[in-house]
Amino acid sequence: MSDGSIAIDGQPVATAASSIGAEDVPDLSPLAQDALRRLLRVWIQFERDLVTVPILRRLDLGTYTLADHRRLLLNMRQQVIEGSRWIARAASSMDRDHSALRSLVLRHAVDEHRDFSMLEQDYVAAGGDLATIQERHKNVGSEAFHGFMMHRASQPNPVDMLGAMWIIEGLGERMASGWSARMEELCEREGITRFMAYHGENDGDHMQKFYAMLDDVCTDEDVVRRIETTAKVVARLYRLQLEEVDDE
Amino acid sequence: MEEDGLTQVYITSTGWHLPGPAVSNDRVEDVLGAVNGKPSGLRAQIQKSNGILQRHYGIDERQQSTISNAGMAVEAGKQCMDRAFRPLHQVGMLAVASTQGDHPAPGLASFVQAGLGMAEVEILSAQSICSSSMMALKAAWLSLRCEEHEAAWVIATEMPSRLLKKQRYEAATESTFATKTIDFNTEFLRWMLSDGAGALLLETAPRPKGVSLRIDWMKGWSHAHALPTCMSVGDSGKTDEERTWQDYDTYAEAERDGALLLRQDVRLLDHIVRLGVDGYVRLVQDGLNVPSEVDHFLCHYSSHHFRPKILEMLDAAGVGIPDEKWWTNLYTRGNTGAASLFIMLDEFIRTQAPKVGDRILCFVPESGRFNTTYMHLTVVDHE
Repeated sequence: MSDGSIAIDGQPVATAASSIGAEDVPDLSPLAQDALRRLLRVWIQFERDLVTVPILRRLDLGTYTLADHRRLLLNMRQQVIEGSRWIARAASSMDRDHSALRSLVLRHAVDEHRDFSMLEQDYVAAGGDLATIQERHKNVGSEAFHGFMMHRASQPNPVDMLGAMWIIEGLGERMASGWSARMEELCEREGITRFMAYHGENDGDHMQKFYAMLDDVCTDEDVVRRIETTAKVVARLYRLQLEEVDDE
Repeated sequence: MEEDGLTQVYITSTGWHLPGPAVSNDRVEDVLGAVNGKPSGLRAQIQKSNGILQRHYGIDERQQSTISNAGMAVEAGKQCMDRAFRPLHQVGMLAVASTQGDHPAPGLASFVQAGLGMAEVEILSAQSICSSSMMALKAAWLSLRCEEHEAAWVIATEMPSRLLKKQRYEAATESTFATKTIDFNTEFLRWMLSDGAGALLLETAPRPKGVSLRIDWMKGWSHAHALPTCMSVGDSGKTDEERTWQDYDTYAEAERDGALLLRQDVRLLDHIVRLGVDGYVRLVQDGLNVPSEVDHFLCHYSSHHFRPKILEMLDAAGVGIPDEKWWTNLYTRGNTGAASLFIMLDEFIRTQAPKVGDRILCFVPESGRFNTTYMHLTVVDHE
């Protein structure tokens, strides 16, 4: 996510007021506003805690190498490919009263095939061997992440998957807007971050859709707490997955 | 007296000192000096992004000091006292904050006390970066709340020009600044920070004429456990170097290596704004911060430092602050680090005529190692 960034590039930056038309501010219920505040805090702390993940710290320090990049893609592929399973499971766990959320969750799965094949191509472009990435097992963090997602997706009407999507989509945007260009710059090679960059192009008006969904599902305090908890667990397990990239 | 049994505390007077004439952006390098005679290629870009239009320095165009850091604090303190209704000898505590005093030891408060001629007061020196002012203020506030004193002076002062003058960079012959073509991290703050001091008088009763500011609460959260250092002086900024300045055989060696240069890790800078938002939302959750009731938001960063998206999310979450409630004098007084908020409060109360009952939220983030501090004030009338 680029929000909250300090403008250091010398480009003109719009002032806060002029960039936000009052008509763009969604009219959320107090419960949905509470959920959004909680999710905002989970996200900010997740981003904070990512800084010390060794492979991402190297990205900040400028010591990230092509070998790091291959290792990162190698470790991400299994989670991306298995993503379709929890998405499908979550969708099938939604009853007819949750059809809008089911559609939103399913939209996640639409480009799934394209996602992982793009990731594999990036790996090959970075000098990796296709068979190596295709045969790769999940790392410890990916195992925990996938296990938790399948568990939550199997519950009746798992509306807390919104919390998971908040983290996963936020990270996708962060990869696209922050990581991908930096990685290509440090690795001195183009065409190795198409998977990450693609996620940024793909969001469109997803925030407005997300707000609408949050407003829809936040019917009581328990739901709000559950969404927050799932976001926290997903954030923690995603970080574990990234930490494990260096612990192999 | 409040229902919690503690005494109410008010900011009853303010003052500032901004040394020398205002220096416009195109003249900044005349004062700080062009390193090795070559104008900086980054100056205009960094100045444009920080939005500051003019600032003040306690050094002249030969980079000679025209005042000391303690001297600026004394001047600000005198102006604050001239506007107060309490004589100097009835102030029991002096808390002084700065990134760096004139001496490494003893603490800056001793020198400011001497300069002000305050007899036998309790002193406190707070050393950090921007949020050191809030540390000193909180200690003084609590001392008055507990009735340890009836009045305290809190003065924050900064003189970074002595760190930013050309001679510092010219002497760092083996530093990253000398070896890199562009060393953004080392130059960033050179075109950002400037000198100044701000003073507040705290008392346990409002001033007898005009308005005072009641301090309702102060909170702070530091994230040093989770994040690396972002703004510092004292190491070379080289990834494989663990020594800090006193570990070198000589200070000259530390200087050559760039261990005495002020540095900002700009890639980490985004986090201080985001963590500022985290604390802000946390205060909402704790019931202390009610954004719809805030009339004025005084922030050490101006709103253009926040990307629209995070502000939009705060609006969506029902806790946004409309642009017209933000107030700052950063663009005309400069970024004076720890002194900024006090200089802001001083000009705000003198020029913006806040109404009795107005609520003011103050936010001072420190990027050093990510400390975020907040204060809530209410404008009150004399009794």
